[in-house]
Parts: sequence; structure tokens; C-alpha cells
Amino acid sequence: MIANLIVGGLAAGCLYAMVGIAIVIVLNITDIANFAQGEMAMLTTFFAYSLMESGGLPWWQAVSVALVFGLVQGIVIQQVVIRPLIGGPVLSAIIATLGLNIVLHSAAGLIWGHQTYTFPSPFAFSPPFLIGGVPVSVDSVVNIAVGLVLIIAMTLFLRYTWTGLSLRAASQNQTVARLMGVSITRSSAIAWGLGGFVGGIAGILVAPSLFLDTNLMSALLIKAFAGGVLGGLNSLVGVFLGCLALGVAENLTGAYVSPSFAEATTFIIIIAVLIMKPEGVFGRVRVRKA
Amino acid sequence: MSAAADITQVPKPRAARNVAATLTGLCLVLACAAPFGLNGYGLYLLTLTEIFALVALGLNLLTGYAGQISLCHASLFGVGAYATAILTQKAGLPYLLALLLGALLTTAIGALAAIPALRLKNLYLAIATLGFGVVLQKIIFEWRGLTGGGGGLALAPTSIAGYELGATGLYYLTLAFMTIGLFGAWNVSRGRTGRALLVIKESEISAGSLGIHAPRYKVTVFAISAFYTAIAGGLFAYLVRYINPESFNVGLSISFLSMVVIGGLGTIGGSIVGAAFYVIVPELLRGIKDAPGLVFGLLLVVVMVFMPQGLWGMMRGLGRRFLR
Repeated sequence: MIANLIVGGLAAGCLYAMVGIAIVIVLNITDIANFAQGEMAMLTTFFAYSLMESGGLPWWQAVSVALVFGLVQGIVIQQVVIRPLIGGPVLSAIIATLGLNIVLHSAAGLIWGHQTYTFPSPFAFSPPFLIGGVPVSVDSVVNIAVGLVLIIAMTLFLRYTWTGLSLRAASQNQTVARLMGVSITRSSAIAWGLGGFVGGIAGILVAPSLFLDTNLMSALLIKAFAGGVLGGLNSLVGVFLGCLALGVAENLTGAYVSPSFAEATTFIIIIAVLIMKPEGVFGRVRVRKA
Repeated sequence: MSAAADITQVPKPRAARNVAATLTGLCLVLACAAPFGLNGYGLYLLTLTEIFALVALGLNLLTGYAGQISLCHASLFGVGAYATAILTQKAGLPYLLALLLGALLTTAIGALAAIPALRLKNLYLAIATLGFGVVLQKIIFEWRGLTGGGGGLALAPTSIAGYELGATGLYYLTLAFMTIGLFGAWNVSRGRTGRALLVIKESEISAGSLGIHAPRYKVTVFAISAFYTAIAGGLFAYLVRYINPESFNVGLSISFLSMVVIGGLGTIGGSIVGAAFYVIVPELLRGIKDAPGLVFGLLLVVVMVFMPQGLWGMMRGLGRRFLR
């Protein structure tokens, strides 16, 4: 019983984690909480769906093209909307992404309507794994594996490449980074492109389990933020584990405390954890000097 | 605009002050005359604008001046609405007394919401307050005996001193509260508290070294903004006459925050402009066939991209240029 609940929680949590990773990449480099991340991912997923259904492309090709679309989408949005706001109040940029969220949502509604579609998954017909007698769906295993690969790849990229180094410099101190010859607008564009790309992966992995419609991501976005905050927003591993923990906590409180208070109980836990660890469980506390 | 520029306020030139006073007076006269020129729906929208402006005034003190993000204001709005409704309908108290008692209760709850704010910042604070709001909303939802739960609460019209409060009466009552609220927020922002809040926004460490007790001011400003929000909630309950816990959700909290940012963070007038934008623009767009949401979202983006200081900031900039 409890093992089933935990596995179910992990499956939900890794959906949050996918979106969480995309949010955190943009957040850490640009300081902007991107409320449009979910809708950008939804658009990429719909794009992949159209390529498969109307374009007749096989899964892998459609997904690859769609991910490139996600990347370009992120860069275009950064150039048009975010770039003029660099150096302005952060909240203005956040509200702009909120507006973008509404725009993308309505645009998708105009193009694809508000009915639900079934997004195909290459793993749909594989039998579930049995781990210690508990059935674990292949989708969940793939999601967790992809999440881990993304984290490792991002960590390596940020640590060992020149671009990654300049991104980290830009995220720590924009003025000093600029003095060292790092272009802030360029690193912001890279961050948004990466965010769009990873968000696209998230959407494509999430869609088979949730059904594809224009509301695909709206429930996940807030949960992803909450899980990320729980784990600590300045660490990718923290965000990943925080989101998984959030999924498990929701399932367990739903079963053992009260189903109708599951969400509220989870948030009480998050608040309690944050009061003790204000930068999340895995977050490093930045020393503030000003 | 840096806070330092806000704090060292240069006295405005006399011409600008006169123009500002004249414009404020003109707006007030127009607002008083509005019920004679508007149909029922127009009056409803105007009342709603004033109610949201009241929320935005309180939230702007919290977010614009003190730099604290809150995503629980929709729930505080809901608590104010429910408290007023229950006190009038079930306890039989007079409306104005119920409004005041409900607001005091919500103020205490709002001060409680400040506890996480003593340690948290930015997104962490946003998520903690969001969680606080979810818990409040859930309590309203599950306390069925008192609140009617998910079925909501329908309200009969109320009266003040024997005079039944119709649409016009409620409009004038809201206008009175908004004017008082405007004056109050203006005074808070210019006084010792407002200046302390601006320093806290810029840096808590320097606030501390100036002898400003940051935790106390944070609790105070959370409480003040909760008071504003609750009064607005109590007015809202009798404007719509049917309240439901579902309507006081995170989306509404985010809308409140957007009003403040669109109007202009840290500006009193901006709160009203932002609320008006949020209520009236979607109404104007209703005529556009397929995509009112699309156009509204685009407008939101355009306003932010071209006026990062908000509508009020831009208007003030234009005013300065012409009055020099």
C-alpha cells in the first residue's frame, strides 16, 4: 500500500520536476520567474503533435523538430519581450511573462481548439516494471531517467564549457560579468532557448500521461514552483528532489491525513520547511552583504 | 527608479501641485456624478474597479513600498467577504459594524501571514504566501456549517440605518471607502512608515543599521494591506451577493499583483489605474470576436515592455515633461 503510494507520488513528482528544471534554468540566469514556461511547453507539444498527425512524421523526427522549435521559441520570446526589460524591475518582467502566458494559451486555443487529444508515447504498450512487487509504469521510469540525464548534462555544461561559465558569471553578478566581456543579452537568450528546449522535453513526456489540451501545463506550473522552492531554487538537484518529494508528500497526506486537505497539508509542510530552511532544503544560503 | 530617489523627495513645483490637486478634484467630482450617467452594468463595473483599487492600494504598500510579494491576498479578500457576510446574515450585526469586525479579523490573519516573510524573500515568499492562501481557502471550503462550503453563500441585500443599500448606495459607500483608503495610503507612504518600508525594500541590513526594526514594519504592512483587502472583500460580497470559495483562488491573487505592477509599483495613483485597466480593458475587448484573451495578454506584454514603471510611471513622466 505505502509502496504503491510512494511510487505514484514519484510518478507525479517527476512530471513537476520536468517543468521545474526548465523554470530554474531561466530563473537562475535571468532572475525572472517565467510564468509562460508551461504554455511555451504546451505549444511545443502541440507542434510535435501536429507534425505527427498532419505531417505524418514518425515520433522521433517530430519530437526532434519540435524541440528545435522550442529552442527557437525561447530565443524569439527573449529577444522580443524580455530583452527590453533587462535592467528594469524584475516584477515587470514577471508580469510580462504572465501576459505571454495568456497570449500563448489563447493562441493555442485558436489554432487547436479546446478539445483534448491523446499524445502518443513510444512506451505506451510496454508492460510495467515490477520493482519489489510494485508495478512501476515505463513512462515514470523514463521520466525520472530523462530528468537525471538533463540534470547531469546541464551540470556538465555549466561547469565545463565557456558558455556555461559565462552563464554562471551572468547569474552571479551582471555588472562584473559584463566587465569580463560576457554579453548579458546573449546569455539571457541562451538561457531562454535552453528553457524552451527543456520545457519542450517536459511537455512531450508529460502529455501521454495527462492528455494533451491547452490546459496541459497550468496545474503543473504552480506545483513545479512549489517543489522547486522546497528543494532550493539555486540547485538543479534540489529542484528535482523537491518536486519528487512534493509528489510523494501529496500522495501520502492524501491517503493518511485527509484527501480533501492533501494540498493544504502539503503547503503547510512546505511553509514549515521554509521557515526552518529559508532557501530550500538543498539551497545554499547566499550571504547578503547589502 | 531607485528608492533613494524616492526618499529624498524634492518639493514639487507649485504648478505641478496645483495641477495634481485640480485633477484629483475633477476625478472625484466625475466619480460622484457617475451614477447619473451610467446604466446598471456600467455602475457595477465602476464599483468593482473601486473595490479592486482598494485591494491594490493595500497590496501596493506591501509590494511596491516594502518589496514583499504576496500571493494570498485573494484568500484574505475572501476571508473579509465571508466574515462580513456571516456577521450580517447569521449574527444579524449592522453592515458597517460587520465590515469593520471582519476587517479586524482579517488584519490579524494578515499579520500571521507575515511570519514567513520575516525569513523568506522573493519567490520563496511568493510560494509560502501562496500556500497560506490555499490553506485559508480550504478552511473556508470545508467549514460547511458556517460558510456553506462549495455551494457558496447567497446574500440578501442589506441596509444601513434603515436605508436599503442598492447599487447606487453601495457605489457611494465604496467610493467613500476608496477615498478614505487613498488618503490613508498616501499618508502612510509619505510618513515615517513609508520611508522605513522603502529602506527595507532596498536593503534590510541598512534598514537595521538605521534603527529601523524591519520585522515590526513587515508585520505592520502585512496587517495594513490585509485590512484594505478585507474591507474591499466585505464590499465585494454585497456587490455580487453570491460568494463561493472557488472564486478566491491563486489566479485572483496573481491578478491583484498584476494590477499593482501594471499601474506602477510604489505609486498610489498607479493602484487605481491598474485596477481600472484590469476591470475595464477586458470589457472593451469583449466585442472582439475570437480572442479577447489574446488581445488582453498582448496588451499586458506591451504595457510592461514599453512602460516597465507601469502606466502611472509613464503618465507621471509625461506630466513632468509638459509642466516643466
